Amino acid sequence: MWLIVYGIISSVILALYAVGFSLTYGVSGLPNFAHGALYILGGYAIWNLMNVAGLSIIAAAPLTVITCGLLGFGLYWGLLLRVRGIPLSELVVTFAAGVAILELLTWSGFYGIRYSLPVFWEESIEIFSVVIDGQRILVLATGVALVILLHLFVRHTRTGLAFRGLAQNERTALSVGIEADWIGSLSVAMGSGLAAVAAVVVLPLGMMEATIGYEVLIYALAVAIVGGLESTTGMVLASFIIGFAQTAAARYIGPKWMIIVPLAAIVLVLVVRPSGLLGKFKELEERV
Amino acid sequence: MMLEVKNLLVFFENALALNDLSIEVKPGEIVAVLGSNSAGKTTLMNTISGLILDRKKKEDRRNGERITIMGEIRYEGMEISQMWPSKRVVQGIVLCQERHPVFRDSDVLENLKIAGYLSTRRAMRERIEQIFRIFPLLERLKRRSAGLLSGGEQQMLAIGIALMANPRLLLMDEPLLGLSPLMQADLARAIAEICRTGITILLSEQFARPIMPIVDRGYVIENGTLVFSGTRDELMDNPEVKSAYLGL
Repeated sequence: MWLIVYGIISSVILALYAVGFSLTYGVSGLPNFAHGALYILGGYAIWNLMNVAGLSIIAAAPLTVITCGLLGFGLYWGLLLRVRGIPLSELVVTFAAGVAILELLTWSGFYGIRYSLPVFWEESIEIFSVVIDGQRILVLATGVALVILLHLFVRHTRTGLAFRGLAQNERTALSVGIEADWIGSLSVAMGSGLAAVAAVVVLPLGMMEATIGYEVLIYALAVAIVGGLESTTGMVLASFIIGFAQTAAARYIGPKWMIIVPLAAIVLVLVVRPSGLLGKFKELEERV
Repeated sequence: MMLEVKNLLVFFENALALNDLSIEVKPGEIVAVLGSNSAGKTTLMNTISGLILDRKKKEDRRNGERITIMGEIRYEGMEISQMWPSKRVVQGIVLCQERHPVFRDSDVLENLKIAGYLSTRRAMRERIEQIFRIFPLLERLKRRSAGLLSGGEQQMLAIGIALMANPRLLLMDEPLLGLSPLMQADLARAIAEICRTGITILLSEQFARPIMPIVDRGYVIENGTLVFSGTRDELMDNPEVKSAYLGL
């Protein structure tokens, strides 16, 4: 039972890491390799808003998400616009931006025990004899809420429908007035905002340091590649496969296997089924 | 005059795709551009709709194919040759591209909703009802994924997608290509009905017989050059047009 409960929690955490990356790539075809950096930047932002600016977590959390979203928006118009449609350059620019952010955070001393976030809810509950702390319940709730909200957003809002249109056929979308650069920049902004949402709910579970950004990028890539880059269902499925594999490996083999599992999954999928479990295209493998 | 194209030249690198082409479209007309494969029909449609500017931008970014566009395109008296395609859509110029390009993973209704991006919710509802009146089959198929529709059904949907953008000048690039004769006749009737709602139509075809009954005037282009123009009767009486584009 422990394996099931914590397997589900690990899976939802992976899905939270990957949802922004998948959304951006699915809509605009942009592999945002700065995703992990934006995640940890979200942690840095909320820590500063709470500990330096003195804001409550209720005020700091949405501000963090908005800040990261705006940064993603700026990333698109400031850097990505110039290399849009050149796959290798898109990858290099986002990766370089991500490394720059992470190195800047490290240089500014963003590591050590003082950088930790408080949990939202300190109580624990017991499900089937397994004790789960309140923060992990929040992670689960956030994961479920995000899936529902994103579904409603892409099916029932004008911008969400434009996301779907652009993801499927850019030329047809353009021919009915959907502006690819505008919608593309919104997708990067939203993906970056979702990285911050993940940071706000997941980072209180452990220590914060800049290098976590690299791990989160690997997790997001693993989920996206295993699930199929443009498939939301594939992303959820891959999160659960890798999440359960990670939890089992960590329990029965050793904790260091937590990072080996997603790397092995990437290699396995690229060898056996390069388009991913539910994917149709084979673009990012070629980029990677 | 609704549309005036004057002395249009388009080069892909050094290859001349459109050579000093001039055409006109008056409000309320259905005008056909006839030409064989590689005559320049799609280039003309993409140039009038502005989609060629998007391609040019992408090619320029990656130092790819050099695209040169010269000449004038006037829409209701306004020079639009450098206007971005989405702005042209706002002005009422909408292109229904060749080979029925639809949003394949979405169902029919969602396709129409996506295409109503620039509309208010109320206008979107009214336009969907109008499209279902023109193509009743689409209403019956509204929950079916567009990728599972037949070629003819996809073409109806592609026209519906274009109509959702509220065109005043509807450009249709080979709308009957690859369809059965029965479906071609149905679509030709639907195109005439769309024109009766006040939408001016400029369409291109390489096999003209199914659309000739609904066309007011036509232009014949070969290798990007205008070789003949005239009314429907003049086109139908021209022996070369008859043999090359009407199969008579």
